[in-house]
Amino acid sequence: MAAPNLSHDPLGELPLIEGTQTDQTINDSLLTHVLRGAGKGWWMLFGCALSMLGLLVIAISWTLYKGIGVWGNNIPVGWAFGIINFVWWIGIGHAGTLISAILLLFQQKWRTSINRFAEAMTLFAVICALLFPLLHTGRPWFAAYWLMPYPSVQRIWPQFKSPLTWDVFAVSTYFTISLLFWFLGLVPDLAALRETTKSKTKRFIYGLFAMGWRGSGRHWAEYKWAYLLLAGLSTPLVLSVHTIVSFDFATSVIPGWHTTIFPPYFVAGAVFSGFAMVMTWMIPARHFLGLKHVVTMKHLENMNKIMLVTGMMVGYGYLMEHFIAWYSGNPYEMGQFFLTRWHGPMRWIFRTMMFCNVVVPQIFWLKRFRTSIPVMWVAAILINVGMWCERFNIVVTSLHRDFLPSSWKDYAPTWVDLSLFIGTIGLFSTLFLLFLKFVPAVALTEVKELRHELAEHDVVAGETHA
Amino acid sequence: MSAATSNPQAPVVELAPFRGGRRWVVGGGAAGLVFLILTFIGMAVSPREAFYSYLVAFAYWCGIAMASVILLMIFHATHARWMTVLRRPVEVMAASVAIFLLLFIPLAIGMKHIYIWVDPPADLGREALRLLAHKRPYLNPTGFVVRAVAYLLVATFLSWRLYGWSLRQDKTGEVALTQRQRNLGAGGLPFIGIAISFAAFDWLMSLNPTWFSTVYGVYFFSGSLVASLSLLAIVTGMGRARNVFGGHMTDEHTHSVGKLMLAFTCFWTYIAFSQLLLIWIAGLPEETPFYITRFGAGWAWVGALLIFGHFFLPFAALLSRSLKRNPFRLGVVAGWILLIHYVDIFWLVMPSLHPEGFSLHWTNVTAFLGVGLVAIAFAVSRLRGRFAIPVKDPYLADSFRYRP
Repeated sequence: MAAPNLSHDPLGELPLIEGTQTDQTINDSLLTHVLRGAGKGWWMLFGCALSMLGLLVIAISWTLYKGIGVWGNNIPVGWAFGIINFVWWIGIGHAGTLISAILLLFQQKWRTSINRFAEAMTLFAVICALLFPLLHTGRPWFAAYWLMPYPSVQRIWPQFKSPLTWDVFAVSTYFTISLLFWFLGLVPDLAALRETTKSKTKRFIYGLFAMGWRGSGRHWAEYKWAYLLLAGLSTPLVLSVHTIVSFDFATSVIPGWHTTIFPPYFVAGAVFSGFAMVMTWMIPARHFLGLKHVVTMKHLENMNKIMLVTGMMVGYGYLMEHFIAWYSGNPYEMGQFFLTRWHGPMRWIFRTMMFCNVVVPQIFWLKRFRTSIPVMWVAAILINVGMWCERFNIVVTSLHRDFLPSSWKDYAPTWVDLSLFIGTIGLFSTLFLLFLKFVPAVALTEVKELRHELAEHDVVAGETHA
Repeated sequence: MSAATSNPQAPVVELAPFRGGRRWVVGGGAAGLVFLILTFIGMAVSPREAFYSYLVAFAYWCGIAMASVILLMIFHATHARWMTVLRRPVEVMAASVAIFLLLFIPLAIGMKHIYIWVDPPADLGREALRLLAHKRPYLNPTGFVVRAVAYLLVATFLSWRLYGWSLRQDKTGEVALTQRQRNLGAGGLPFIGIAISFAAFDWLMSLNPTWFSTVYGVYFFSGSLVASLSLLAIVTGMGRARNVFGGHMTDEHTHSVGKLMLAFTCFWTYIAFSQLLLIWIAGLPEETPFYITRFGAGWAWVGALLIFGHFFLPFAALLSRSLKRNPFRLGVVAGWILLIHYVDIFWLVMPSLHPEGFSLHWTNVTAFLGVGLVAIAFAVSRLRGRFAIPVKDPYLADSFRYRP
């Protein structure tokens, strides 16, 4: 599938590993950022992240002290920032699952350098997402009773016909499998760190988590099987999680929520936003951590292509929603799509969404933009913004103008809403920076394996790898 | 030829151009025409039955052809190399879409027997008439024909260019032609995606013009794609048995086609289930009629057959690795999927004619065979005299040694 080097491919496709590499050079270059002490830049970023995290603590404390009345939610906008941010964060996790599961099954070699990074983002994004429904219950200490599946034990019967209950199952499964997948991939690398580090404490800790990995043939054989099985188990999760999130809306009868295309359209949007978030972090990280030889332009270009494809799918979803709103002849559907969204009080959110999600990705049709670092970074950030606007648009815009004009009401977030949102970005960044500090950001053993595969590929093709 | 334009590493393929398939072209084509004529006679005798049967057959075969165009384009857009050796059959299946421009004519003539929106009866009810008047700018005979021609022209253009460039590369070996195919394969996808979606709305969803579902286009596409992959499995299996591909197509390729069949069987189920669940749980009077008819006593067993036969059976069978690697056994499952996909299209169309329950008319058989055999004859005739694999594709060597 992949071209080992520039000269080998008839159409000059870019290589997956740049320069002349050996196991030793890959080992050294990918472990450096873990083994060396934290630099000034890392501490500065960590300080910023921590201060945003502090804001989260304040906002959560205030919410718990006063109740969720301090949020901007009202009637009819009963769901607002809480659900917007929940859906946005859950969506961001999807790049990791797609890369680790589906791209593995599709035998895409280019997933190798970016899977660790994206899977870590999945975990942190799900943690951020889970905060919101938990806080939205008002008394999270009771939420364990309400959300955990112990109906007969607690004498509380969850409504099993409610997609909110399905969400609990879907998201907790998603988190568990993603964590296992990520950890399994880490085990050989943790063992490599155990062998490389000079500090005794670190050797003990890495050794503990490496779970006695010695790299024997039997270890590898079983590791490979476990990896493939987890990939198979994760694949339905790529679809199921955001499908069930879309059911939160689509099982209702609100115009703008109830439409049958929601499941696949939410999944496409999730992958779209997930890749945008991976790009947002990957571009600076590969520069500062010295990963450019393994996270090459080819990887970035492929990720841009995935953003183009999923962006087009999201655009297809918008087109179908608009067409069927008209075709249905239902005045409420038409009112929602042709008046409220384009011309209502929240029109700027909607128009921003259209620009960021439909217009911006079109630049990736051109190779020039697909391979330009500044262009793709700005585009990725705009797509993050656009996908947040999409969720705002689905949640708030649909709710604030429903059937009866007498029940319409405008919505504005409060400082607590905004702080919670910014705070979760802080939480995500904090976790992510810690991740970059303590474990290899690129799956070391997999890259080494890939290098061997590519070298062998060249021998078979009748060329030796220089 | 200079090294810059041709591929220096292209393997030397000892393969004569494809000369087989005569029986399919001559015998099959003639039989197809006879069946079509019988169907046309049926149209004169009992027009509603015959035109509905023809619509089922047309949507079935044309859906497969359009999905094959999309499959070919996805292969190009993803720069897939493993499939190079089985690309020619996909190209030929895709190229068959041109014949549907001709095969559409009976539908254009008979639409008043099929679609109630063509000439809505005055006793339809005030609300339904209001809705049909609202939809008139879209649901009208001229628009229906113009749009259908546009969908088919888009598909025909794409398949014709892609196949044409591929055939030219057989002669010249120009590497640049691969680049062109990749560009068009990616760039054309939005167009054909919209074409097949609106084709589903026009040809099938508008049978019940007050009913709507945003995911309907994806549903039609997903079913057609599984059928297209199944047809590919059968065609390549037959080709391998007759040594059409010079022994270059291996169990590895067959295995991967089987994997794709498994994946898209799941995808079809996912879309079908999502549509059913959302309409059932919301219970809106404007959306439920589609399922009320199909949950009725006369149709419920067909729906149950679809759940079992379009999902559980192929899913369970395709999980087996040894089955996917055996061209014959994979072909049997593929044959079943092709059959059950016909049941699916039948289930989409016929309840509009027979809401009371399942009923089979002899034109169902003649239309299916007529449209199908003519399309297959046309497709095979496009292959005769050409190589059965793209012999000078720059990635052919990669495809030969495909070992996932």
